Amino acid sequence: MGLGQLASRALLRSSRLTTATRTSHFLRTIVSTPELHNSEVAAAQSQPEPDLPKRNPVGGARIHFPNPDDAIEVFVDGYPVKIPKGMTVLQACEIAGVDIPRFCYHSRLSIAGNCRMCLVEVEKSPKPVASCAMPALPGMKIKTDTPIAKKAREGVMEFLLMNHPLDCPICDQGGECDLQDQSMAFGSDRGRFTEMKRSVVDKNLGPLVKTVMTRCIQCTRCVRFATEVAGVQDLGILGRGSGEEIGTYVERLMASELSGNVIDICPVGALTSKPFAFKARNWELKGTESVDVTDAVGSNIRIDSRGPEVMRILPRLNEDINEEWISDKTRFFYDGLKRQRLNDPMIRGADGRFKTVSWRDALAVVAEVMHQAKPEEIVGVAGKLSDAESMMALKDFLNKMGSNNIWCEGNGPNPNADFRSGYIMNTTIGGLENADVFLLVGTQPRVEAAMVNARIKKTVRATNATVGYIGPAADFNYDHQHLGTGPQTLIELAEGRHPFWSALSNAKNPVIIVGAGIFERKDKDAIFSTVVAIAKNANAVRPGWNGLNVLLLNAAQAAALDLGLVPESNGSVESAKFLYLMGADDVNVEKVPDDAFVVYQGHHGDRSVYRANVILPSSAFTEKEGTFANTEGCAQTTVPAVPTVGDARDDWKIIRALSEVAGAQLPYDTLSAIRSRIRTVAPNLLHTDEREPATFSTSSLRPEIKEKMDMAPFETAVKNFYMTDSVTRASKIMAQCSALLLKK
Amino acid sequence: MASVLRNALKSIREKGIGNFVRGLREEGYLSALLDGNLMQTKIHNIGATLVGVDKIGNKYYEKLGDTQYGRHRWVEYAAKNRYNASQVPPEWHGWLHYITDHTGDELLLLKPKRYGIEHKENFSGEGDEYIYHSKGHTLNPGQRNWTRYQPWEPKKA
Repeated sequence: MGLGQLASRALLRSSRLTTATRTSHFLRTIVSTPELHNSEVAAAQSQPEPDLPKRNPVGGARIHFPNPDDAIEVFVDGYPVKIPKGMTVLQACEIAGVDIPRFCYHSRLSIAGNCRMCLVEVEKSPKPVASCAMPALPGMKIKTDTPIAKKAREGVMEFLLMNHPLDCPICDQGGECDLQDQSMAFGSDRGRFTEMKRSVVDKNLGPLVKTVMTRCIQCTRCVRFATEVAGVQDLGILGRGSGEEIGTYVERLMASELSGNVIDICPVGALTSKPFAFKARNWELKGTESVDVTDAVGSNIRIDSRGPEVMRILPRLNEDINEEWISDKTRFFYDGLKRQRLNDPMIRGADGRFKTVSWRDALAVVAEVMHQAKPEEIVGVAGKLSDAESMMALKDFLNKMGSNNIWCEGNGPNPNADFRSGYIMNTTIGGLENADVFLLVGTQPRVEAAMVNARIKKTVRATNATVGYIGPAADFNYDHQHLGTGPQTLIELAEGRHPFWSALSNAKNPVIIVGAGIFERKDKDAIFSTVVAIAKNANAVRPGWNGLNVLLLNAAQAAALDLGLVPESNGSVESAKFLYLMGADDVNVEKVPDDAFVVYQGHHGDRSVYRANVILPSSAFTEKEGTFANTEGCAQTTVPAVPTVGDARDDWKIIRALSEVAGAQLPYDTLSAIRSRIRTVAPNLLHTDEREPATFSTSSLRPEIKEKMDMAPFETAVKNFYMTDSVTRASKIMAQCSALLLKK
Repeated sequence: MASVLRNALKSIREKGIGNFVRGLREEGYLSALLDGNLMQTKIHNIGATLVGVDKIGNKYYEKLGDTQYGRHRWVEYAAKNRYNASQVPPEWHGWLHYITDHTGDELLLLKPKRYGIEHKENFSGEGDEYIYHSKGHTLNPGQRNWTRYQPWEPKKA
């Protein structure tokens, strides 16, 4: 029971007292309970309390009854609650609005029941019961604020604090520690412990997670997370009793792309962030709710900043996309935002050296060169991290200059943007949980989109779904069948000759995921038509279920295809005289002719700057407002968390300014104006935070593909999980991770 | 008075008239003719004991006996035209103000080696380049760098 409820109950009682005295003030008795002397009031008092103040479920929890007959009623502190059968006592209490203290229980992990903090009293039970592990039974009378329950919690807390060091002032968890909070709320005000505390050797879990194992209270959340969600068997428990320790058994690093989540999950300061260690206190930080751009998942994040620097990144709950986890790349790449930043416009002089110039001069030079180039020789490439607004501005600007050679990197030389269902994840990330057979074609979700992989892992664990994989040998953290390495296997599947075909054809909800690495292949249309044929044969695309998916690689890809960033001609980079790179660092700059004039607009000095003639500094995603569409086509916006660096400006503002200098002024001056322009092109990008499903299915409307498939095996799309774009390549932590964790 | 004159004549004879006048100027006797404070100090000094000289040349005198208690210690500043109380370094401040009987030379031995910094007089009104500026001030030469990012350095490609 919360303090507020206690207070409100006390208030109710006192108000009843005052009204009673007012009605009978002429009696003037000297007893302390005058209302009992009034027969009417005394009669009302003897009846049970009429109706209790309404309580709301903890955290706005809602219950869903799969079967109305399975509803049972329990009483929590006298409140009747209807819950579905199979819920635990703790969940029933949450629905009733009572927050039970807990350490080991986590709603997304299996139940351990070993911390004993959630003890409550149940009527007719001889001793307090651990509510997290006890199923609620019909008619159960649960009491959460009786002296027995309080005493039990106080006793458990005393035991937990016995071996917990008193180092909160130097602990990074201080201020956001469950043990700290709950010892204040439920603990005793004094201890009786006079012996020595135990000490445990710290474990080395790698460059991301710092361990202070004396603080551990053996809740085993991290062990369960590692096995159940991350799918690695690295962590375990050693020893018994006071010798119990969490560890890796033999000294080794935690090789998981989700290892950072154990930091959030740890209720004490035993597992904390190594890069964040002793950098800041959590109450000094300003949280900004934003979206991650390092992969195409668009994980919801909170950017914690202090002054002008990003101090850390935490996940934000979004059941449809990332649940409450984020990948290590998302969590720890932020130090790349502080290194290798472009902060001033620069022009390469005749001697090949860059000279810092003013914006006016830089834009004037770019505009002049642009007018000298022929329209078909003007080429624009949007980078992996571009937001929809700036891509819209770039496309409009180049179109005004007469060129239509503009694309987004990662989409390949000839992207097919005709049907939205042909490049997004139609099943949705959350929808993957309903699948029973997965076919992964040339994609390794573990490195390409770690959160999608976690969802597949969850499905495999929950429903024993089968996973088939076609592509180069890869490391998966769940059971899978490696069907083949290239298009040959696809043909066999399409013709029904492959042994996996029986699993796929018998599946109720089959899911086929095609990797975006295939976009780079010349025969991608042929591959896609084969995949569509497989999907048709397996009945994967039907009303109510669309199991044909493309897993994109970059944050900008989906929005770029929505906006129609499709180049007019292939191989336009080779013939370009004027190349406008908007944060594009994976363009092969060696193919660019020597006499071409290259403008690099971006926030990091990564690869393309070395070929650039003019550098225009722009702001990173933590510094600007921008729309990003993730791989399932859900548009989300980033929010500026920190100020821009140096003289940098927002991408779309630079293009807008350049268009004016070049004499082809774009008709928008504000972000809302540019968004109304987007509304005419791709209105789904404006429906933020809600996914707009693709209306048409591709299977029937696609033209016949004549070309044959190339039998070359599929390639790995992401070579290094930790370093995929300019920001992550600038990050020291990501460099450490790839050095230590990718070592084979 | 006669002995003063005799000493003056003696030193003129020893050093020559030019050196004698320069000495007078350096000791502040010439400015004392216009500066009553300095003149009074000079008169005071007659018969007083020189307790010490600090590192910028201020002279600390004491005269016990026929001086009023609380006025028996004083300083003759090294600077003869532009002197003020902030020129007294902290180690002599205590002695001069009767806080302690230890002289500045004794207290100097207690000065912390690692973090003790040099005394600076108050330069208020002497121009922006002299006066104290806080760490974040643009005019502070040892100003802290608040840039929280590392810019990309263009190298010759």
